[in-house]
Amino acid sequence: MTAAGLRLRATAGSEWIKFRSVRSVPAALLATAVVVVVGGLLVTAGFRSGWSTMTASERATFDPTFQSLHGVELAQLFVGALGVLTVTGEYTSGLIRTTFAATPQRAQVLAVKGLILGGVVWVLCTVASFAAFFAGQVVLTAPARHASLGDPGVLRAVFGGGVYLLLIGLFGCGVGALLRRTAAALAALFGIVLVLPIAVALVPGVLGARLNEYLPSTAGMEFWTVVRTGGDALGAWPGLAVFALYVVATGVAALLLLRRRDV
Amino acid sequence: MGPGFSFPRPRRRRRRGSYCLGMIEAHGLTKVYGDTKAVDGLDFQVKPGRVTGFLGPNGAGKSTTMRMILGLDLPTSGAVTVNGQGYRGKVWPLREVGALLDARAVHPGRSAYNHLHSLAAANGIARARVDEVLDEVGLTSVAGKRVGGFSLGMSQRLGIAGALLGDPEILMFDEPVNGLDPDGILWIRTLMRSLAEDGRTVLVSSHLMSEMALTADHLLIIGRGRLLADTSLADLIGRHSAERVDVRAADAPRLAGDLRAQGAGVSVEPDGTLQVTGMGAVRIGEVAAARGHVLHQLRDVTASLEEAYFRLTDDSVTYRAPAPGTTEFAGPSPVTAASAPSAGPRAASRISEARA
Amino acid sequence: MSTINPSRRARAVLASEWIKLRSLRSMRASLAVTAVFSVALAVLVCSNWAASWSGLSAAQRAQFDPTDTSLNNLQVVAVFFAALGALMVTNEYGNGLIRSTFAATPQRGRVLAAKAVLFGVGCLIAATVITVAAFAAGQSVLGSRAPHAGLGDPGVLGHVMGGALYLTLAGLFGLFLGAVARGTAVTVSALFGVFLVLPILVNSLPKDALWRHTVPYLPSNLGVGLWHTHGQFFVGPWQAAAWLAGYVAVIAVVSTVLLRGRDT
Repeated sequence: MTAAGLRLRATAGSEWIKFRSVRSVPAALLATAVVVVVGGLLVTAGFRSGWSTMTASERATFDPTFQSLHGVELAQLFVGALGVLTVTGEYTSGLIRTTFAATPQRAQVLAVKGLILGGVVWVLCTVASFAAFFAGQVVLTAPARHASLGDPGVLRAVFGGGVYLLLIGLFGCGVGALLRRTAAALAALFGIVLVLPIAVALVPGVLGARLNEYLPSTAGMEFWTVVRTGGDALGAWPGLAVFALYVVATGVAALLLLRRRDV
Repeated sequence: MGPGFSFPRPRRRRRRGSYCLGMIEAHGLTKVYGDTKAVDGLDFQVKPGRVTGFLGPNGAGKSTTMRMILGLDLPTSGAVTVNGQGYRGKVWPLREVGALLDARAVHPGRSAYNHLHSLAAANGIARARVDEVLDEVGLTSVAGKRVGGFSLGMSQRLGIAGALLGDPEILMFDEPVNGLDPDGILWIRTLMRSLAEDGRTVLVSSHLMSEMALTADHLLIIGRGRLLADTSLADLIGRHSAERVDVRAADAPRLAGDLRAQGAGVSVEPDGTLQVTGMGAVRIGEVAAARGHVLHQLRDVTASLEEAYFRLTDDSVTYRAPAPGTTEFAGPSPVTAASAPSAGPRAASRISEARA
Repeated sequence: MSTINPSRRARAVLASEWIKLRSLRSMRASLAVTAVFSVALAVLVCSNWAASWSGLSAAQRAQFDPTDTSLNNLQVVAVFFAALGALMVTNEYGNGLIRSTFAATPQRGRVLAAKAVLFGVGCLIAATVITVAAFAAGQSVLGSRAPHAGLGDPGVLGHVMGGALYLTLAGLFGLFLGAVARGTAVTVSALFGVFLVLPILVNSLPKDALWRHTVPYLPSNLGVGLWHTHGQFFVGPWQAAAWLAGYVAVIAVVSTVLLRGRDT
């Protein structure tokens, strides 16, 4: 193995030990998985029990896949916070100095942190998404409509739940690395992912809808939706691309600034 | 950890691999924050085989300099190299430099073992070394406990363990005795001296004057970001402190006059003690006997690092508390050979242990 | 040993907390940002309505309510206030200041109460200013082209003050939740979850009997009941205020009990 490869392997080993050796991390991951499944169950149960009160048009646009995955929207809080803390936690305690003294290749450290968090979140949340999907479809008994994996777009959407949360986690890491303080990074992350869509949705008319579609979370959400609502909605893959672009841009900015800043 | 705990004696370690000259060199090192120059054009070398003490008042720039050596902060101008190379270019830095900057810089939820393990893994250091190092600092029994529950002394020892992990040629300690009990202070002093005797480079930053006097061979004194002295301990003490003899006598004023007539410099303390310079104790005794004085005390006062340090950094202190009993900020009075500083802490200044 | 007059002690704690609060630059900055955001949002929304007014159908025009439109931003602003409240407590835990605070005043309930009182009063003032400013800005933008409301119109002042009350109670909720959870990340995430995400999840579910008995009692929906003019599914203003105050009281009690029992 080359010298650079050995160096990378050492960084990966070190960051993995750090990731798995703190109790709060597995706890947050467990909470994430639970929320994805339970949230989905809650929503699908709500739709099932209220099916008779829904109008015909509501029933027509009902998206069983999206609703069974709706817990993802709540789980993104946990994943985003975890992403932020992966970076800002070290700044708060001052451990970041020891980390950079041990590994002066700072960009490598940040990238590896992100990859480890992203990887674990992706695997866990993909499993959770499938679990939520199946549980939700079980709840959606007749007369409510339910979906099956073979239906067009459904498999993509269920995988999409995991991918969306992966990107949220990475987004959190990037924002955390840029702002370096927990409170500010959380405010920024949640502000962009949660508050901005609500604020923009208040703006009526075409401008509001257009703008909304290009916001990171709204665009990303397209990837785990099956039923298209609204004319100017981005498709699933364009939506994913837009969201991924935001995440990559934040990450690149963080990596570049990391080198020049004092610690 | 309770009392009665003893530290293992530090072992002489075989140096692994080839011996590489452990040098830290700074050229024109400068760091400016806004309009303050925290570090101003430092030029120094930290050499192997001895303990170099980094001394200076608060805010003088010691921690900033150490951070720049480790590549954590970028210098505004100038450069500092470790073993001839900038720190950031190193692939396995912990095998060359071990540093303790801040004992509290740990994640409170992690165990001591895992903290050191993650550090070792980052530089390809074997897992067995973690156990070795925990044993050396005496933390084996609490290796699995959360670091958040450690006392300050235990955190210090954990930090020292981290510095020793890579068996490095160069060691840097920022305030290592902070929080250690007397056992621990003796242990770290012995450790540092033995590391230096091994041929390693040891850089220690400390405020504890008495400890510095016992540990350091060479001193780098900085004040307001500038290098004030780069000298051996003995030279500094010799050049900047006053050797004198303290005399107490039944008739002090007359004795003072007699000694002055013989060419000695005499200053009278408020409690009647005569501080005599320019004349040895033997000669003073002879003069006193010849003039019929009754002496109560005749004592050599050898120079102290603290005295030398205060004289040197007198005008460089950024944050100074007023002397006890005064209501205004006052520095020591102008120092001449005949007088001792009239303000400032004097508790340990009169006696310094003889160095071998 | 002389006993210290309890009111003197209360004043001392209040004074120390006030000094801490007013010397915190980030708190003022956050408040300023919130104010700007709120007013800007109100202006943005109202100006869009005004611009597109001529193109709207009669049905849409009938549904339009100027007060609602300029107060809509409160849904979002409430989270900011809640987060600020949480930070008042979690910041001290984060930087270790909480130990000095409790060393100076061992009666921890008193410290928490002082923080709550100061923050609550400050919040009420700030919230009133922000709500009125956002309302006025929005109305002036709506001005000529669309129907607008004035503070003197019947019921409008009530809605505006209701909004301010919602923001204050949200802030206090955040403060006490911060005392329970003690960590910034956990508390802020929980607040965003409760105030923003949960309503998104459940508000659009079909409104069957179970829904009508549970969902309107979410804190954010109670807030809507306070400032919204037509609350078809939402609880009426006085009830909403009572429920919200009840939530705050419950979490206040829980946090005080926990605070006393724990180590720092």
